[in-house]
This record gives sequence, C-alpha cells and structure tokens, in this order.
Amino acid sequence: MENLKLEATKYTPEISLESSGVISMVGKSYPENTFEFYSPIIEWVEAYFDGSAADTTVVNMEILYFNSSSSKLFFDFFDLLEEASANHTIEINWIYDEENESALEAGQDFIEDFEALKINLVKK
Amino acid sequence: MENKLVNEIEELQKSFKQMSDKLIKDIHRQNKIMERSDKRQQQEYDELQNRLQEVQELQNEIEETQREVVFTMGAIGESRSKETGNHVKRVAEYSKILALHYGLDEKEAEMLKQASPMHDIGKVAIPDAVLNKPGRFDEHERKIMDTHAELGYEMLKMSNRSLLKMAATVAYEHHEKYNGTGYPNKLKGEEIHIHGRITALADVFDALGSDRCYKKAWDDEKIFALFKEERGEHFDPRLIDIFFEHLDEFLTIRDTFKDVAE
Repeated sequence: MENLKLEATKYTPEISLESSGVISMVGKSYPENTFEFYSPIIEWVEAYFDGSAADTTVVNMEILYFNSSSSKLFFDFFDLLEEASANHTIEINWIYDEENESALEAGQDFIEDFEALKINLVKK
Repeated sequence: MENKLVNEIEELQKSFKQMSDKLIKDIHRQNKIMERSDKRQQQEYDELQNRLQEVQELQNEIEETQREVVFTMGAIGESRSKETGNHVKRVAEYSKILALHYGLDEKEAEMLKQASPMHDIGKVAIPDAVLNKPGRFDEHERKIMDTHAELGYEMLKMSNRSLLKMAATVAYEHHEKYNGTGYPNKLKGEEIHIHGRITALADVFDALGSDRCYKKAWDDEKIFALFKEERGEHFDPRLIDIFFEHLDEFLTIRDTFKDVAE
C-alpha cells in the first residue's frame, strides 16, 4: 500500500499516512470544504485496516486549531479506529500545547467518547 | 411459524435499538461539537478584540510619539532660525491646504502637514557665529547658511519612515525655485518635488507676513504683489493660483495661529 503525504497549507494540517503503521496529522484544520479534503484520508485508512495493517498502528494527532466540521470529522475518524481496534492494536497520541485549552478539551472528549481506544494525552 | 415471526420481530427490535442508539449518540456528539465550537468562538473573538485593542493603542502611541518628535524637531529647527512663535504651526497648516487643493489625498496632505515644519532642521548644524550674526551675511556666511538645506536632508534621509523621508525631501528642496535659480541643486519646475514646492510657498508666505527683530511684517498687498510677480519664477504657478483662489482659508489660519504679542 502506498504512503500518502499531504503538505500543510494555511488551512490544512500536514498529513502523513504510512503503511508501516504511523498516521500523523500536524497543524491547523479549517479547510473550506472539510469533508472533501478529508475523504481521501478516510479512504486510505479504511483500505489500510481492510488490508495490510501493521501489527501496531500509532496515530499522532497534533491539531492546533480546528473548525467544527473538522471536529466532526475527527469523531468519524476515531469511530473508524474504534471499529478497527477490535482486530488491530492501535495507539493514539493526542498531542497538545499546554496553553491550548481547546486542543486539550478536544482530546478529553475523545477519551470520554471512545472507551475502547487507547488515547494518550501528550503535553508538548 | 409463530416462533419465526417472533424471532424476526425480535431481530428487527434489536437492529432498531442499535440504530436508535447510534442516532442518539450522534445527536449528543453533534451537540457537544456545537457547544465546544461556540465556546471556542467566543474565546477567539474575545481574544481577537483584546489584541485588536492593544494594536490600536500601540498604533496611537506610535503615531502620537512620531507627531511629537517631528514637531519638536521642527521647533528645534525654528529655535535656531529667526522665526518665532507659531511659525511652525502655520507653515504646517498652509502646507496641508495647499496639498489638498493641489489634489494630493488626505493622507499625504496630513503627512506633509507633519513633515513640513522640519524644513529648517539643518540649521541646528549651522555655527552660532553665523546663525546669530546681526545684519547681512557676507558671501561666505551666506554659503554656510545655505548648507542648512542639504544638512537637513543628510540628517533625515537615512530614515526608513515615510514621514521622515518626506521631511528629508522638504528640507532639501524648500529653497529651490521654480525657475531653477534656487539652492542647493538649482532644480527647475516639477523637478522640485511637490512637497518641496508647497513648503517653499508656505514658508515664505508666513515669513513675510510676520514681524521679526530685524524687519516689520510686510502688509498683505505687498506680499500678494510679490507672489504675483514670482508666479512661475520663485513659485509653482499652480500653487500661486491655488493660494489666491483660497486666500480666505490662508488668512483664517494666520488669524487662528497668530503670534501673541509679548
């Protein structure tokens, strides 16, 4: 499976999807059309877990700023991870800056909503 | 048969339960997203407002400081010349209305109002012996005196601030004459920057109309006659036309900022 890498833009994070088992999103997320922007990402992740997922998958999320559509999308993304976690080992690092209260709160929400997932809050 | 039906209904019940659980979960999630989002928006907007206010205050501070520095520099220049009282203020005001009627925009005219009082700043570098000499200058002293235009330019030209750059031009060119007989560069016509041409007229109009320790103020008729004579010679003809067209405005300024007798 081919890796997928998107450079960061003013409105979108840097995204790196590696078939060796590392998924990362770093930066800001407030695209004009959030669902359109993320659909290839979601497709890649679905295909990855359907096929040749690594033994352990590590997901690093460092989102500094996000709009509400992105928030919704991250929930959908975590749904997908939760589903996959039945058959795969997945570890998620939600990385936040101490001063970024909303990033921390978002991380706490995900922990609360996705009990089956192992989500670490990682202070930068 | 009966059991089969019950089984089917039970299956339906189960999937309905699953579906409605998911829907309820989705609705809760959606609400949470909205609440968070609203909260964030509020914080961001507050933050933005605060920052904006800070920037505004800083900008005011900078502009105020700039105005004061520039005005003080003008006053220093004047203190080294034989001008007195509100000369600087009047030159500033005359320059602005000349600029506006000439067609410069409000922003540029306001800048010129602030920059034009600095035209004589170069005089701080003229030796006292020359500067304070009573009576007429000999040729050598006149030459020294005339260097004040270039000296002012040298002092101000290094700045990257647009206001000080403008002041540099004004200092450099306010003794140039439209017919090319001025100094320091004998520039001619529109080779002289409009800011220089404007300040030249404003400065002379005010100097002639004011009492000095060495001369009485000229009366208006004499000044107007000179201006008509110097139209296209010393002064830009367009500016002279503007001056006479809007004479009342100039006289109002002169009256508003007149020197109080000591």
